[in-house]
This record gives sequence, structure tokens and C-alpha cells, in this order.
Amino acid sequence: MEAVTTQDITVNDLQWKIEYRPEQCTLCGSCVAACTFGAIYVDMERLDKPVFTGSVPEGTRQHRAMPVIRQRSDINHACVGCGMCEKICPNTAIRPVRNEDSRMPLLQRQHGHPIKRGGRTNLNSQRTLDSIVVGRISQMTDPALDSERHTFDMRAPLGRVVDARHLPLAIDGNNLLIQGKTPPVRWIYPLIFSDMSIGALSPRAWEALTLAVGYLNEHCHLPVRMSSGEGGVPRKLMESDKFRYMILQIASGHFGWNRIVRAMPFMKTDPCAILIKIGQGAKPGDGGLLPAAKVGPHIQALRGVPKATLHSPPNHQGLYSIEESVQKMHLSLNAAFGFRVPVAIKCAASATSVSVYNNLLRDPYRICGGFFLDGIQGGTGAANEVSLDHTGHPIVSKLRDCYQAAVAQGLQGQIPLWAGGGIGMTGNAAADAFKMICLGANGVIVGKILIQLLGCIGNEHGRCNKCNTDKCPTGICTQDPRLMKRLDVDRGAQNVVDYVLAFDAELRKLMAPIGNSSLPVGRSDALVSTDRAVADKLGIQYAC
Amino acid sequence: MLTIHTLNEHVRMSTQDLLLSIEEAVARGETDFNVEASGQHDIGGPLWNAEGKKLFFRVRNPGQRVGCMAMPNTEVVVEGPAPADVGWLNAGGRIVVRGDAGDTAGHCAAGGVIYIGGRAGTRSGSLMKHDPLYEEPELWILKNTGSFSFEFMGGGKAIVCGCDSQTLPSVLGDRPCVGMVGGVVYVRGPVAPLPADVCLVDIDRDDVLFLQRGLEDFLDAVHEQKRLKELSVWKQWHKIVPAGAKAAQATAMPTVAEYHKNEWVPGGIFADVFPDAGEHNGLVAHGIWRLRVPEWENHVHCAPCEYACPAGIPTQLRYNLLREGKSEEALRLVLDYTPFPGCVCGSVCPNPCMQICTRAGLDTAIQIGPLGRASRDVQLPKPKARTGKKIAVIGGGVGGLAAAWRLARKGHDVTVFEREKRMGGKMEQVIPRERLDENLLNHEIDRIARMGVKFANGVNVDAKKFEEIRASFDAVIVATGGHVARIFNWPGAERIVAGIDFMKAVNAGKKPKVADSVIVIGCGNAGMDAAAGAYKMGAKKVTCIDVQKPAAFEHEIEHIRSLGGEILWPVMTKEITKEGIITDDGRLIPGEEVIITIGEAPDLSFLPENTPKFRSWLAPQADQSIMKGVFAVGDTIRPGLLVHAIGSGNSAADAADAYVRGVPYEPAQKTLIDKGKLHTACFARSKETSANACDDYKRCVSCGTCRDCHTCEESCPELAISRVATDTGGFAYVSDPERCIGCGVCAGVCPCGIWTMHDNVVLEHG
Repeated sequence: MEAVTTQDITVNDLQWKIEYRPEQCTLCGSCVAACTFGAIYVDMERLDKPVFTGSVPEGTRQHRAMPVIRQRSDINHACVGCGMCEKICPNTAIRPVRNEDSRMPLLQRQHGHPIKRGGRTNLNSQRTLDSIVVGRISQMTDPALDSERHTFDMRAPLGRVVDARHLPLAIDGNNLLIQGKTPPVRWIYPLIFSDMSIGALSPRAWEALTLAVGYLNEHCHLPVRMSSGEGGVPRKLMESDKFRYMILQIASGHFGWNRIVRAMPFMKTDPCAILIKIGQGAKPGDGGLLPAAKVGPHIQALRGVPKATLHSPPNHQGLYSIEESVQKMHLSLNAAFGFRVPVAIKCAASATSVSVYNNLLRDPYRICGGFFLDGIQGGTGAANEVSLDHTGHPIVSKLRDCYQAAVAQGLQGQIPLWAGGGIGMTGNAAADAFKMICLGANGVIVGKILIQLLGCIGNEHGRCNKCNTDKCPTGICTQDPRLMKRLDVDRGAQNVVDYVLAFDAELRKLMAPIGNSSLPVGRSDALVSTDRAVADKLGIQYAC
Repeated sequence: MLTIHTLNEHVRMSTQDLLLSIEEAVARGETDFNVEASGQHDIGGPLWNAEGKKLFFRVRNPGQRVGCMAMPNTEVVVEGPAPADVGWLNAGGRIVVRGDAGDTAGHCAAGGVIYIGGRAGTRSGSLMKHDPLYEEPELWILKNTGSFSFEFMGGGKAIVCGCDSQTLPSVLGDRPCVGMVGGVVYVRGPVAPLPADVCLVDIDRDDVLFLQRGLEDFLDAVHEQKRLKELSVWKQWHKIVPAGAKAAQATAMPTVAEYHKNEWVPGGIFADVFPDAGEHNGLVAHGIWRLRVPEWENHVHCAPCEYACPAGIPTQLRYNLLREGKSEEALRLVLDYTPFPGCVCGSVCPNPCMQICTRAGLDTAIQIGPLGRASRDVQLPKPKARTGKKIAVIGGGVGGLAAAWRLARKGHDVTVFEREKRMGGKMEQVIPRERLDENLLNHEIDRIARMGVKFANGVNVDAKKFEEIRASFDAVIVATGGHVARIFNWPGAERIVAGIDFMKAVNAGKKPKVADSVIVIGCGNAGMDAAAGAYKMGAKKVTCIDVQKPAAFEHEIEHIRSLGGEILWPVMTKEITKEGIITDDGRLIPGEEVIITIGEAPDLSFLPENTPKFRSWLAPQADQSIMKGVFAVGDTIRPGLLVHAIGSGNSAADAADAYVRGVPYEPAQKTLIDKGKLHTACFARSKETSANACDDYKRCVSCGTCRDCHTCEESCPELAISRVATDTGGFAYVSDPERCIGCGVCAGVCPCGIWTMHDNVVLEHG
């Protein structure tokens, strides 16, 4: 017998255990062939035992051996629960089962390295939005709208909205003229595909999202926009008229901007907007991270880097104040596209968010075209787990604080508020969006749910979340062409399109009963909370 | 006929009074009404005559919902226009409006017929239904409808004739037929865009027949007969019906896949940096798309026995030959690695091969040592090709003879110089005859001589002789062993007898005298040999001491104990007296004679001063050379087992061979098979071993070398593996990459650990 000691790691220490039914297994090998993590393997099992068949105790030892599927017990090949084995098994002979006695958190920090993973926080999965319902329904007081036949105005601004008193208006006889410059504003759909970089995502996954955006614009009349993330933008897209759907992101690493600048003379159209990323909700205060395993040749080309782990600094180097950021980043990026393209900024929600928003609102140059706030439940392709689980700020109250700060100054709506971080986490992004809009958002940003629609099976209960390993079993968060090949781009994009179409219908279903023809920004009277503390904090009705 | 005037001197009758008076009249049997109304609602239903007679209402200036819930056998004729909800929930009445109708005319009508002799307002015909128990409702409109007409229509027929409306953008207003799931709307004139789930189609013969018949009655009723000709141009008519699944598909939006194919950036947005043909794979793939690929790594890695053997004897190959029935080849094979399979493998070697044998972890090790004895009588022919190179070996012990044997087999002229009269070194001089049969030794030494090795016995090589040899040979092997006993400088050390000298005397038959009580310092195997020798020479009590746990094999120790010997440890010697040994804690271990066996060092006085050394031993280069053309072997480098000296002799021989040929010496690097790859579960565990060591091929796992069992071929779920003959007369198992899915079943079932899964090659793009 092999000597096993108490400190040896066995499958019972891992987060997921493979439940295997040898009597169902035909040893077709599909599960092992499909497992990207090498978590299972074929082995021989000795089944020797004494057998007693006679009427007197004359046992004989019977020798039998059978090949079986076994789970690897080492940390580096630990099962992640992705369930590809279960998916492929023709006989329901194998599946991963969550192990409640897992000791993984204690075993994973080998060689003193912090745990890294992708996904979103696995600890703070309780959601404020789930204690809020749309409680103000038109019943006899005024007619509810017919969600399916009424004409709704589903547009949200991205760009600095100047209030009427400050518009450079002049009267010329019976005509009202605009004299002088006004900031550019895009009126777009209140749903932005949030910044997931090429690098975090495979080219296939990224293209599937752009494809869905193109389709939604060109066939569904939904002007959905997509933020590029900070991993460059493919040149062919920049030279296509579909570039107008893109929001270019610039973060602290400035990855890909060389090619963006060089492509400028060849652009047929301006991009929708520029988004300066200061921080992200999943790992605020921690910089971007793209592990070397994912820096394939195409990523090296797009970003202009060697094959190495790529860190974006935790802050923009050279920005030391809000004012400086306004001057350098906002001005330069406005200027880059001839002041035709709105420039917005994205921060992780924080105890300091309201100060930042106030400062931007007071900016006399009116140069900030949007304030994107990202909450703790946002996702990421790679981060230290300690950042994912233990840093960040819930989005709902912070969005509300910012909105109310603007209202108190009579400046609401001037710098559009876009909020995200966990939108759609419990399945219904439309309900989340509606509630966020009622609390003051102009629109919402979504990320994780999009890759889940493409086929990602990760979740906030510790399933998979190996986006950082280049082993993504669904071909979404990997740069390995072999795994990417698993992703059916059209099918994934169709899922996204279908979801957004349903999102649109569901958003109308919520707008109709409260009688709003346009987006109910700030209509917090439409909401009630079943949680007293939430109601008090957000200034909405408490109901029970 | 009852005429009801609802205005009397500016006093208007309430709806309630009017309806109650009509109800009262109907109950009295009145059937014919002339109602001069003034906006009273709900005139005309739901009413019925107890005897089933027809009720007739002529109405002027009605309010809303005229004819609502009208029953069969009710006719309502409105002279002039009527406001909203004409015929609401009509359940069978005939309602005629000789003028325009307000909004929601015919709303929810599910029976009867409604004729509007003018325009109808918004949402007309909405929610009309057809109850299958009754006739279909009909709604005829002479001119046009307002917007949202026929919303949610579920059944019945509506006819919008489009008179005086042909210049409107739509005779059905905006957004007609939204949510329409049943019924049919006949329409003449322009129609606003329809939702995707209904469609506008041409009318057919049956439709024409229906319209022909219906129009006459309708136009009669609304007094518009003159329009018949205008309305009888059938090609101007169409009908709106709910689209079937097929029609819906025809008008549906393109799929994303179609959009991708036809309207997307040609070649995809990543075409310049990441060419991708776009096909996708399932979770299981073949060829280059497999995550992992199997390699048939036959004899790439050593079996544990081969790896553990300092002479590198590949026993698994011997057993494979035996399994194939090639027993002669099998027994010859060992002579490529050692000239002493009987004396060393089969007699005195502790057999590290067997200690590590995979089978030992299962039940009992394969009988590798005994297998050596089976090669006792195998003779090999002399090599025909002679190199003409002369090589001297100084020292005729096991290491020197191994080197000589190997060099002779390579065709060199080899001479072994030996100080003693007989070849064999410690095998001959020191190891007790009980452990090593003298005949067997002579037999195996004789085999070396028959290979053409010249033996020069009684030659004492000193510095001068060494230079002489070096000058007259192409290369020299130094294999003089270790014969200088190591003795610590304890007080009384001069009383100590060197174990090696004592054993030499025993073996030489000199019968050295021993005292009755003897102490042996050093409890290695040599110590046990000395103790046994002392008993043999007449000692009555032998005490063996050591500073640490005895290194001798358990069975050697047991042998001494069985003779009455005592093993003591840890014992630190402080002084040696004639009474015995005083330990450092002051105890006396009695013994009249002290023999020491804590190792021997080489005597290297014949070598030049500057020969590289570490402490008492030679410190050669990686090719075992200590100077140009001179190679060191065995105990001159470090003390070891006989088989270490054989391995060392082999490699020195290879280095010398390369040297005299003028080619670089490249020792083979061996790797040990990963134990995890072996699958011993296939073997039944058993207490029995084979009576004849040669038959142990059945038990040998054949680690790292294919035993040709076909298990992989049988187990491969994709039937990808086949056995092929190779050009060299052997065989190989190959896996077809186009069938293989990289599941690793082959690697999982292979008892010998041949099939190995590797990550597939890195791909750069799709």
C-alpha cells in the first residue's frame, strides 16, 4: 500500500469532488479529453477481494482490475467545478460536486503567493437590489401604459449635457440659433457592454460581443454601445463604420493606444465615446492584470508588449488630483478627436465617490461627459482574491448619493451617471437596470452577464473562475486557439442579442406600469424596499 | 310599434328610465321600437322576446354602446351616426349604423353582424372573437377606421371597404392588427405597416364569394347600393390574417449568423492579427485540436531495477526476451553489463535492483539476483574486429576485470596487472568462501580470460612501473581498490588487527589465530564477515560494536547472532587495552583481540604526486580520467559495493575506448520511469514466486518497456491504436491522430507506463 500521511492533500481537501459512477462509465474517455484543467485521469483500480461461494468458509481471493476515471488530488490540477465532464458524459457517470469540507483556502497559497482568480466577489453576494421592488403601479390613479404598443423613449445621454441657461442660444427673428460650441452628447441605449479587454477575452468572445452590438444597432434599432476595455482595438474594426458603436477605453496601462492613434487617419467614423478608467469595482486600488499565460502573439501585437505578465499600475501615473485628471486626460482625449467625441470617466465606487462627482460637476470647462461608477460585485478576468472579496463598495447607495448630491445643487442630468457592478447577477438585468435608473442612473453597464450569455459557467459561488489561467473551458477567457475553437461565435452572439431584446421588452414592462414614456431617471417614488435600512438609506418607501 | 320620445319639454329621460321602460315593454310583448334618443347608452340589448319573436329597434341619436350585448333576433338600426362602442360584446344582434361610428366599434363582438355606413374610430374591432359554438361575428365598415384597429383580434370577420379613404396613408389607421391572433380583416386601400406576426395576403375565390354576398346586404342596410360597382373590383381587395409559423419565418429578421456572414466586417475584425476560419469544435476534438496527445515511449525511461543498478543492467529487457522465448539472448544480455552475473548479481550483491523492484511493492521482488546465476555458463565469442589498441588495467579486482571485459569485447588488447597470484581482488581475497563460491568465481574469471584478456599476476606496480606501463599502452585503467585499513588513533590502537588483513589470511587458508573473545569495530557487512571469520578461526565470543545503527544487512547480523555474537551500538571507543575496549563513558567491553572493519583507503603511492585527490581518494574528471589516457575505477575513487565497481569499470572502459578511438565520450543519461505511470493493479498479488528465476517474466511488470500485451489496443475507445511491425524487425504501437481524442485511456491502462500523455503543441492561431 502507498503510504499516505495526514498532511497529504487528497480530493477531500479540494473545493470540488468528482462524483464518479463506474458502473455507468464506458470509459469513452470524453470527460478526460474535455477537461482543460487536467483534473481527472484514467487509472487502474484493483478490485481484489476474498470471495466465498461454498457452504463452508473456504474463501478464495479473486483478482480483478478495472480502468476508472480518477480525480487528481494536487492543488495545481484541482477540479474547478466547471462541469464539462458532466456535459460531455453520455451516461451521466461523472460530475463535480461542491465539497463543503474544502480546505482549499488554506492550501492554495503555495510558495507564499496570494490566490489569484477571475470572476467576481464570492463573499459579498447579498444584493441591495433584491430587497427593492417596483411598488408604485398605476392602478386607477392613472392609466398604465401598454408596454408592447406604446412608443417609449429609451435613450440615455453619454456626454456633458448643458442646462438651458448655459446654452449659447440666440434669437434671430423667429428662429432659435445655437451660437458657439456645445459639448458632444450621444443619445444611446441605457445599456453599455462594459469594458472587457482583448486579452481578458479571447478574440472570438470579443468579436461575438461586437457582433451582437452591430446586430442590435442595425437590425433591432437598439443603439447599444460597447466599451473596448484596455487591450487595444483591432484595426479592421477601427477602419469599419461599425467603429461608431465602440467606446474606447484608456486605463493606466494605456495598452493598445499606439495602434489606435495610428489608425486615426483611416477611421471612417468617430467612436461613440472615450472612457477613462481610473478604477474598477472588482479590484479597486489594484491595477489591471493579464497573466503571461494569456499574452499570446496576437495580444503581444495589439498591445505592443512581450510575453509577460502585464500589470496596469493601480493609478494613472502622472495624475495626482481630480483637477489634474480633468486637465490632462479629459482635455487631451477630447482634443484627440476634435472635441467631437464625449469623454467620460470610470471609477470604482468608493467612500469618496461623491466628492469626485461634485468636483466634476463644478468643472467650469464642462469637459466630463459621464461618470461611470463600478460596484463591488463587478467582475474581472484576473485579480488577487483578497481584492475581489475584501475591497470595493456596494454600488446602489453610492449611485444614489451621487445622484442626490447633484439634485441638491440642481445639476442632475448634466454629467450622466452610469452604474454597474453586479447588474444581472441574479438573472434579470432589466429589473436591476430599472431600479438603478429610478435611483438616479442614466444607464447601466454590464460585463460578467455577457460572458455568461456567451457560455461562461463561472459564478459567485466559487464555480470555475479560472479566467486568469488561460484554461477557460468555454473558450471565452483564453488566448489558446485550441480552447477558443470551442466557442461558437454566432450562437454566443445570438444569445446576447436575444437577452438584450428581452431586456428591452422587460424594461418596457416595468416602465409601463409606472406610466413613464421615457427612462424614469430618479423616479425613486416607483420603488419600495422591504428592508428598512435600505429604504432609509436610499430615501425610498419602506413596505412590508 | 312603440315610439319613445326621450325629450319632453327640455326634460331628458335618464338612461336608466329609458332602458327600464324598454325592458317593461318587451316583457309586455312589444317587439317593434322607435327610439327618439338623446344620448342614452346601451340601447338594444341584452333583450329577448319570451316567445322568440324578433325585436326591432329604430334609433336616432343614441349614446354609447348602442346594441351592446345584443342577442340573436335583435335588430338595431341607427339612423345617422353613433358614438363609441357600437355593438360592444355583440352576442348575435344585427346592428346597422347609417353614418359614422365612434371609437371601439365592434369591440369584443363575438356574434351577429355590425354594419357601419361611414367611418369607425380608433380600436375598432379590437378583441373580436369567434366562439366555436356560434356563428362568426362580422363587422362591416364602409370607409375607414382610426388607429389601433383590430388589436388583439381573436376571431370573426371584419371588412373595411375604404370608400372615400383611398388617399389616406392607411385605411386602418396607424398600428392596425397588433396582437391579432385570429379572424380575418378584408381591406381595400392602403394599410400601415403591420406587425411581424400578421400578414397581408391576396384574397381567393371563397373570399370573393363571401364579399359578393355580404356586400349586397351591407350596402342595402346602410343605403349605399350605389357603391356596389366601385367595391366589386376584387383585385383591390386584400386580407389580413395572423401569420402562420412559416409566414412568420419568411418575414423574420436575419439571424446573427446571417448578419455575421453578410453584413459584418469581411473576414472578421481580427483577420490581421488572429486569422480564424471560424469553425468551432465540440468539447472533444481530434488531431491538432486535442488538448493532450499520447506518446508511445518504449524504453525511453529506465525500469527501477536498471536505474538502481550501478552497472545499469536492464533486467526488464532480459525478462522481455524470456517472455518472447529468446532465453539465450536473455542470458547473454547481462554480459554486456557485467562479467560477474553469478558472483555478484547472484551471490554477494545486496541487489539494489530488487529492493526497488516495482513488484516488491506488490508482493515479492522479481528474482533478479538468482537470474544472474543462470548466465553462469554463457560464453560469448571474441570480437572479430580488432582495434589494435593496447590497454592496461592495473588491479585485477572486480572493477578492473569489469573494465577489462568490456574493453576486450570492444576489440582492444587488454592486459590486467595484478599484485597477487590470483585474479579477483576482494572477491577472491576477502569475501568468505561461504558467501562466494570459489568455483563460480574461477569460472567467471576464466570467461574473461577466454575473451582474450591477458592476466599478468604478481606484478607490483610502483611509480616506475606505472610510468613504464603508461608509456607502452594506449590507455591505462587504475583499479587497485582499497586495501589500507582505516584505523583511528585511539590509545592502544597498535593492538588493533585490520579486518581486511585478517580476512585475506582466512581466505588464503593461513588460518590466522584468534583469541577466545574478539571485538569487531564496525558493524557493516565487512564487520559481519570478520565476525564470522573469527568464529570460524575458533573464537568463542565475538562482540561487534558501532557508533551508529549497524549498516550490515539484517540477515548478516542475524547470522552472527545465531553464532552467539553480540551487536552493541552506539558505542564510542576511548581506549583499547588488553582487557578490551574502554568506552567514552568508562565502560569496559571485554575482548582480548580487536579487529577493525570501518573501511579501507586506496594505496595510491604509485601515482604521480600531482594526481588530483580528495582526502585519501582519487578525484577524477567526469570521464573518470585522472591524467591523459588514465582512468580511475571503483574503490580508488570512493568506497562502494562490488556492483559500484562494476559500473565504474564499465564507464571507465567506455571513456578509455572513446579516448583511444579519438572520439568524444558521451555517457548515456538515464531517467527513471515515473512510478505513477505504472499500473500494477493488472497483476494479481501472490505469495508464490517462480521456482525458476527465468520464469519470473510472468511476474515482471516490465516497467518502461512494452510487454506487448495489447491492452492499449483493446482499451482505446476510439480504436485509434494499432500494433505495427518496424523496419528493424520489432514492433511499435501507434495512435492515429485523426481518431485519437487525447483521453489518455491508453496511458491509464498501460501496465508498463509506456503511453504517456503530453500537452499538445502550442498553436498560434485558429
